[in-house]
Amino acid sequence: MSKKRILHLLILTAVVLSMNAVLVSAQSGISIVHYYSDALGQEVMGGILQAFNEANPDSPVADNSAGHEDFKTQILVTIAGDNPPDIFSYWAGARTQFIVDADRLMPLDDWWAEAGLDEVIPAGVKSAGIHNGQIYNVPMNVHVVGFFYNPKVMEAAGITEMPRTWDEFLTVCETLKESGVTPIALGSRNRWPAQYWFDYTVSRTAGPEYRTKLMNGEAKYTDPEVQRAMEFWKELVDAGYFVPDANAYDWDEAANMVANGDAAMTLMGTWITGLWNGNGLEPVTDYDFFPFPIIDPEIPEVVHGSIDGWVIPANAKNAEGGKAVLAWMLSPEVQQTWAIGQGALAASTAIDQSAYTPVMAKAAEYLAGVDFLSGYDLSTTPPMAEGGLDMFAMFMNDPSGYLDYLAETQIIADDVFGG
Amino acid sequence: MTRASRKWALIFLAVPVSFYIVVVIYPLASSFYYSFTDWNGFSEQYNFVGLDNFERMKTDRLFRGALKNTLVWTVAAVVIPTSIGLLIALALHERGLLSRLYKSLFYLPICLSLVVIGQVWIWIYQPGFGLLNIVLEKIGLSEYTRAFLADPDTALESVIAAWSWQQVALAMVIFLAGLTAVPRELTEAAEIDGAGYWRTVRHVIIPLLRPASVIVIALSVINSLKSFDILYMMTRGGPFHSSDNLAMMMYNESFQKYRMGYGSAIAVVLFLITLVVIVVYFRQQRGLEQLYD
Repeated sequence: MSKKRILHLLILTAVVLSMNAVLVSAQSGISIVHYYSDALGQEVMGGILQAFNEANPDSPVADNSAGHEDFKTQILVTIAGDNPPDIFSYWAGARTQFIVDADRLMPLDDWWAEAGLDEVIPAGVKSAGIHNGQIYNVPMNVHVVGFFYNPKVMEAAGITEMPRTWDEFLTVCETLKESGVTPIALGSRNRWPAQYWFDYTVSRTAGPEYRTKLMNGEAKYTDPEVQRAMEFWKELVDAGYFVPDANAYDWDEAANMVANGDAAMTLMGTWITGLWNGNGLEPVTDYDFFPFPIIDPEIPEVVHGSIDGWVIPANAKNAEGGKAVLAWMLSPEVQQTWAIGQGALAASTAIDQSAYTPVMAKAAEYLAGVDFLSGYDLSTTPPMAEGGLDMFAMFMNDPSGYLDYLAETQIIADDVFGG
Repeated sequence: MTRASRKWALIFLAVPVSFYIVVVIYPLASSFYYSFTDWNGFSEQYNFVGLDNFERMKTDRLFRGALKNTLVWTVAAVVIPTSIGLLIALALHERGLLSRLYKSLFYLPICLSLVVIGQVWIWIYQPGFGLLNIVLEKIGLSEYTRAFLADPDTALESVIAAWSWQQVALAMVIFLAGLTAVPRELTEAAEIDGAGYWRTVRHVIIPLLRPASVIVIALSVINSLKSFDILYMMTRGGPFHSSDNLAMMMYNESFQKYRMGYGSAIAVVLFLITLVVIVVYFRQQRGLEQLYD
């Protein structure tokens, strides 16, 4: 090959490469990034996006999904790199707040009003997407956290009524333990599955208002309220109601313990039904749901859970396209397809409620009747959440040191909230 | 070099060098830069905070733990792959057909990704049905059974053991290659002089394996410093940071707590530690070159 030819080849390569870059930037499509990357999520979300493309052939959406953990880093990198997608899925709560505070998201109040979403989305669900007085996160689905149990195991132990109060709950646990079954499965290797115990013991004993203060750094982890809440949790661990070595398992392993009958119940989100249905379990016969029992009847009842939503970056190149996808996602048909396919509750109430399984209908009914609060890691700012999640894992390892753990957690809180 | 060929050399060099600048030098310089800021990772505004991030390390309990674990891992990386890898290599060197089968078996973990190895060992360590606990129980050591990865006293060691499985294989391959370079006359001479097997190993083979040992130690120390995937897979630094190393802490601070400035400062510290290892390695290499000159 002559030198001239090599030079020509080099130039040609350079031209092809730059054309590629131009083509990519000039396309009129919409880019979406979401974290529904498991088999179930990809199948259902893939179908929804494909239907969107068939209806909008001029501005198709390019689908990008990433696993939850990869997603967290990837989305920050694209936002920081000024090359954000036009719309992306995000957890409503403190994580959204964090990006809002960095002026990286677009307020969607006008779009919300135009779409008339106030009529179909409950106020409690909507409020989770409001930050600094404006709507930034448009909810897609709601997951409710409560007890999912194995009815056959309960029946074998002679339990037919699910507990409504703390005393009833303790009796159920004792009966199960005496019949030789571990009452409560928990897989806290990744820490977050333990957080709902803290969420519920705090909000059921000190009340939702106090809990919000704690999440915002206006109350202390060393307060008697938090200590007392931890003592309710500790009572259960000390009595041997939890599976031993909870920190050794992942949440789905804990779910399997319940499904196999090795444990009776687990405190988990409605996404567990997606896992179980996929494994061939039947709602009602193989699993069922009851809400976290009431500890103090004076205190208003709340439900904890998580809301998955959509946000649009402030500097999205095709924000209109992003909004078109948003409208598609909130349409009753898509809401129903998504909720039923994913094992979640639809954000919109405009869907056919009879499409839910009887178990999901129970969760939906509970959600409709009480206030909604996000789970711990979505309620408090990320650096604080990291410290708190560590505390829960420490507690499951050895609950006797809970006062020390709370003191250590408060040191982190002082640092994070600048107390 | 003629002037024309020098011109071409520069043109061809320009491509890899610019690539290297974009993907290595620039990010490296950026993390030095951000280590002096309080950047959260995506905001447009940030402040220069001088040495605050490095000051913070002095009082940060998590940093102390991660630094200690990194050092423990480094020491393990010097001791375990070199000793066990050498023993296996000696046992399998020039031992006929069956040894080839064993070589392949010991080599196998290198072909697996660390993520797969992590998952396999998670199952081995599992408290209920895990192989290790079952074996311990069967041989009457049931007081030692535990949830190895969930116990803060054993989590780090358990991950290092799983990681060493692959590193030992790597060390074995390098030592086997080194052994073929040991002249047979020398071992035969030692034998004739009446030296037993272990004396021959101690005074003839090991000194001649020095080049291979330097490579094994350097590789496994550098691998230990940057190990992240297997730790992420097996414990994510938990339970409650008891198995954090600097790489894991850097990730947590940057992407879980959104403290990119502090995370960058940890990256700088990790870089400096790695730099020391690399400088020592190159010095050793230069010494070896002189040895053969």
